[in-house]
Amino acid sequence: MYKLIIKSAFASLMKRKVRTFLVIFMIASSLWGLLLMQGIYDGMTQQMINNAIRSDSSQLSIFAKNFRSQKDISLYIKSSKQIEEFLINEPNVKSFISRIVTSGLVATAKYSKNTSIYGIDVKDETTHASLDGYIKQGEFNFGKKNRGAIIGFQLAKKLKVGIGKKIILSAQNIDNQVASISLKVTGIIKTNNMALDEGGIFINKERAKIFLGLKSVNQISIMLNDYSKVDMLKAKLKTTFNDIEVFDWGELYPALLQTEQIMKSFSYISYIIVFFTATIGIFGVVLVSVLERLREFGVLRAIGTKFKIIVAMVFFESFFIGIVGLFLGSLIGGGTLYYFSLYGLDLSNFSDALDEFGMDAITYAVIKLEYFITAFIAVFSATFLSILVPLRVLKKSKPIEVING
Amino acid sequence: MDSFIKVKNVNKIFNEGTSLEVIGLKDINIELRKGEFVVLSGPSGSGKTTLLNLIGGLDGITKGDIIIDDLDIAALDEDSLCNERRDNIGFVFQAYNLIPVFTARENIEYIMKLQGSSQKECNIRVEEVAKKLGIEKYLSKLPSNLSGGQQQRVAVARAVASKPKLILADEPTANLDSKTALELMDMMERLNEDENITIIFSSHDPMVINKAKRHIVLKDGRVVENEIIS
Repeated sequence: MYKLIIKSAFASLMKRKVRTFLVIFMIASSLWGLLLMQGIYDGMTQQMINNAIRSDSSQLSIFAKNFRSQKDISLYIKSSKQIEEFLINEPNVKSFISRIVTSGLVATAKYSKNTSIYGIDVKDETTHASLDGYIKQGEFNFGKKNRGAIIGFQLAKKLKVGIGKKIILSAQNIDNQVASISLKVTGIIKTNNMALDEGGIFINKERAKIFLGLKSVNQISIMLNDYSKVDMLKAKLKTTFNDIEVFDWGELYPALLQTEQIMKSFSYISYIIVFFTATIGIFGVVLVSVLERLREFGVLRAIGTKFKIIVAMVFFESFFIGIVGLFLGSLIGGGTLYYFSLYGLDLSNFSDALDEFGMDAITYAVIKLEYFITAFIAVFSATFLSILVPLRVLKKSKPIEVING
Repeated sequence: MDSFIKVKNVNKIFNEGTSLEVIGLKDINIELRKGEFVVLSGPSGSGKTTLLNLIGGLDGITKGDIIIDDLDIAALDEDSLCNERRDNIGFVFQAYNLIPVFTARENIEYIMKLQGSSQKECNIRVEEVAKKLGIEKYLSKLPSNLSGGQQQRVAVARAVASKPKLILADEPTANLDSKTALELMDMMERLNEDENITIIFSSHDPMVINKAKRHIVLKDGRVVENEIIS
């Protein structure tokens, strides 16, 4: 029986080959576009988030209580040693670094600009999140005497400084005195984290301590083995140490978190568009098919075919179009995404504009199983929805009336 | 009389209660025995097709009862009616109404498949019926590649293959030439005798009417003549 059902539905589709293939093409191409757009958008967002995590926030950051709101250098982490010991013994912690963070002023002979000063250990930063990978010019070190500075590339542009050039850093120290230090640019960094590229200067952590009169650090950043356990670790840290505040990357970069959520909303809207495209396309084909075959269905019902078998015939037509469109769209879309996940989408021609938004010139696409599952649900729902009206038309028709024309 | 079909006081009114109300059948009373070969005749609009549709459960009765083999078909719900048509009633339409995308074989075995017969059972029965109707050569052909007479024979084979108790044929020879029409009627007569199937068909072709063993004449929705022809 199923063979006859499938044969009937398939023959009906083949009777209108051009229309059938046009609808399949329409579903496949819209799915392809959707998958590509989603994979590229997700890749872009993911890269922006990764840049923020690698260059600054890590997955979790610890600060002294109120440091984030008051930006007061004296609010350093007093229990940094105990926290570090705790983190060493915490199995879910992959790595951690400690930093000194403060605001200051950077000046050359001609220009000056507000800056964020980061006291870092280059070795730790290299193993922790490969910060050295962002070096654009020069080296990722502070020279033999640790009198070097690595500065953001946009800041270097504004200050018109290059490698080997001298800069003066000034900042308020722990005694509320303005302290200054003269450094030479040893490296220029491009992280695509706008805050760092436009205003970040990295100096040696021990030198920063002396320069600012600090005995400890004011940021400890953590990378986890399993990011899903971030909330658990956060809670554990908060209960173990009561003089700290713990933030995940989303709290430190709320704009990025929002971007990620907006991209998700765009994706859902895109799926709705694909859903309607598929529904309208399949609906058109199935409705015409049903109207053309009203007499045939009438005969089938007259000779004893139950309505559920008629439903199966109509559904198979719709299902075939949907599933072939889904398969082709997923195949081409998945293939394109795979290519871009390996080789990236090169948008170097727009690099200046992308730099302004802190985006990478080459975007590597992301492929997630959920794209295909959602696409399947969208197209499958469309196949169901598209047959409701044609089936209603069929249900309302009386076999004998349609047989007699 | 041991009745197989009882049509009792059947009335059919189309568009009842509207300004387009038309009386299709009025107070029809007919009793038929199993295995009868009956023709319904009468002018166009006399109610032949309407009566066949009511007996076949394809249309609803306004008033009265139709009992087929002790089953009141007016009392059946849509699903049971569908089963009744599938298992006990075969239909032959004036315009053949074969499924265009199925081969002759698939058309013939379709109802058997609905009944749940295996492919082997279908094959045996299709060969048997095709031989009786002389259509063995056409089994693999699509209806569009068959002549009108061949298509109607396939339609008869479809109606017979599932071994129904009753075959209803609405002007089965109307689209056929005289020779083919007579051949078809001969085949239907043989099926009626060999398989003891009750056959009711409508026609206004005197040559075809003469083949029947009972002749019921309808006029303006009423039975005006009901005679057994020896």
